[in-house]
Amino acid sequence: MAIAVKLDDLLHDRRMTLTELADQVGLTLANLSILKTGKARAIRFSTLEAICGALSCQPGDILRFEPAAARKRSASR
Amino acid sequence: MPRRASSTAALPIAYAVLRILTVANWLMGAAILALLVVMPNEQWIMAAFKLSPSPDAGRLIMGLRAVAVLGLVGIPLNYVVLKRLLAIVLAVRAGDAFVAANAVHLQAIAWALLGLQLLSLVIGAIAKAVSSPAHPVHLDAGFSISGWLAVILTFVLARVFAEGTLMREDLEGTV
Repeated sequence: MAIAVKLDDLLHDRRMTLTELADQVGLTLANLSILKTGKARAIRFSTLEAICGALSCQPGDILRFEPAAARKRSASR
Repeated sequence: MPRRASSTAALPIAYAVLRILTVANWLMGAAILALLVVMPNEQWIMAAFKLSPSPDAGRLIMGLRAVAVLGLVGIPLNYVVLKRLLAIVLAVRAGDAFVAANAVHLQAIAWALLGLQLLSLVIGAIAKAVSSPAHPVHLDAGFSISGWLAVILTFVLARVFAEGTLMREDLEGTV
């Protein structure tokens, strides 16, 4: 998928762990981990809203469109 | 929500019935095979059906042989239906109804049912062709609206399961 999740970078900038974010947004650590590793197929607006609220950021800071990376991934399969 | 007693009993009953039908199908196959082995003996068939030597009787025997061969072809098709249905019942009992495997099972069942309906058409046509006023042949075969509806329904259901599986995968991957 050409949509990359930049949660790792945001957490690093905010000096926050995934567990702390999970506690703040009310998601399970497993679900948040799926999102962070780019394995999620979809994200709810409510989840996006909660993460943006907890990290004081915009949805665009979390998600990035990277067509070149997607092409590289599909070619390596 | 608690499941109703009838719905919880349906799966074990279906499982048992399908197991019994699978054995019955193999027994029927063995019986047809035995019939085909005996059939070359025209004297025996003439005696069993109280036929007198005539062109009609010869045609009838040929027709019955053809029907027996087609019946034998139907055995593996029946087996596909029963085996795949059993796999679906087991998957549903395990709480996994909308999985890709069930869509594939239903697709296979639909093709097998289509094959059985075509066989039924041919058997019906043969029965009609060899039947005569002196030796009427009444076989429960031929065109059946409910049979063809079952074929269409199963193809549609297979598609529904395939779509349901995709929706479930999407839902599981939604954060």
